[in-house]
Amino acid sequence: MTGRARPVRLDFVAPVHGAPLAGAVLLALGLAATVVLGLAFEGALTERGRLDAALGAKAPPRQSAPTPEALKRAAESAAVERELAVPWTRLLAELEGAARDSATSVALLQVEPDAAKQLVRITAEVRALPDALAYLKRLQKSAVLAHPMLESHERRKDDPEHPLRIKLSAEWHT
Amino acid sequence: MSRPWRDEVAIYLAPRRLALVRRGGLRRRVLAAAEVPVPAGPAADLGPLFTRLGEVLADSTWHRASVRAVVADHPWARYVVVPWLDSRLGASARLAHARYLLGDTYGDAVADWAVTLSEAPPGRSCVACAMPPGLRSSLEDALAPAELALLSLRPRLVVAFNAWRRHLPANDAWFVSLDDGSLSAVHLRQGAWDRVHMARLSPDWALELERLQAFARLTRDAKGSGRMFVDGPAWMRRKVGGSNGLEWLTEGEGDEEPGTPGGELALLRRVNA
Repeated sequence: MTGRARPVRLDFVAPVHGAPLAGAVLLALGLAATVVLGLAFEGALTERGRLDAALGAKAPPRQSAPTPEALKRAAESAAVERELAVPWTRLLAELEGAARDSATSVALLQVEPDAAKQLVRITAEVRALPDALAYLKRLQKSAVLAHPMLESHERRKDDPEHPLRIKLSAEWHT
Repeated sequence: MSRPWRDEVAIYLAPRRLALVRRGGLRRRVLAAAEVPVPAGPAADLGPLFTRLGEVLADSTWHRASVRAVVADHPWARYVVVPWLDSRLGASARLAHARYLLGDTYGDAVADWAVTLSEAPPGRSCVACAMPPGLRSSLEDALAPAELALLSLRPRLVVAFNAWRRHLPANDAWFVSLDDGSLSAVHLRQGAWDRVHMARLSPDWALELERLQAFARLTRDAKGSGRMFVDGPAWMRRKVGGSNGLEWLTEGEGDEEPGTPGGELALLRRVNA
């Protein structure tokens, strides 16, 4: 015997190439898998939306263009921050120490810091100009101050002792 | 395609009798079976058959199911083997070719019959079958009141061959299907039909069996064995016994074609009993 007789597929009603039951089962399985995957995808999308919403509630608000009020508040805050950053204790101690160390007396009249420029302006009175220069040299040795300069000097004629009023400026190190 | 959960009714249509088998359930058990004689009428007249079928189907036992119908070869089916043509023919041209061969074999009587072709791979011959033009529509008209849907309509020889084919050699063998007063014989070569013959039989069965054996001897190839396998009524098999070179296909051996409901085979077994 060589092989077997082949079936004769002949029908007056059913199509010759009719889909077998296995095909229908596979189709049904495929459709069911599609539905299951679709539902899973839908669930994943919903979960992602929920997580996005939760994340959005906790995230900081997005930066928008600053309003003039906000800019003003920011500038004020920065100014306060700078004022607070001035090393008052060290600065005053250094200026007074320098005045004491000078051979002649130096009378500090005014200390005016400019926090924005990290600059301090000093007004003082001495007997004569060499005293002012000696005070300036002493300030130049200070570790707190940098680039001290004698900006002006003026003899006070209205004072009976005719002191010399000097104005100095120096930067300070933070 | 049939819905798997729906019951199926197999109906065998012959000029003198009707047979019905209903199967259902997951295991496709036989739920009902009946064999009904048809009053004698003019030969090949479809009227008495479908009148009787309509009466039988009035019983609710047969209602609401899919139907697979099997038609007796004689007098309602004609076959030819259509050889493969090298020229590429479309479906309509192949059908015209089959009609030409049918007309050449059976004459003008089949000129207006419905024709269908079997599936065949390129390069191989196929089988063409013709049935009377009004048979299908008459059957559908008879089924409609009982809410029965026609799913399949096939001739007996094709159903019987497919049921037994696994027990047949692929080469040089005859498959003979005997029915009420007729014989259909198919010769196999390389697993396919290469000749098909139909003949009316006389009431003298002993004489017909002798003719069948002589036919087998005459058609036997010199090289091959020419074995002849017979699918016929049980009473005839019992009468003949195991002699005479014929190989009877006995009940319990037949396979059910994958995808083909067993109802048709059960129906034919019942018809052959």
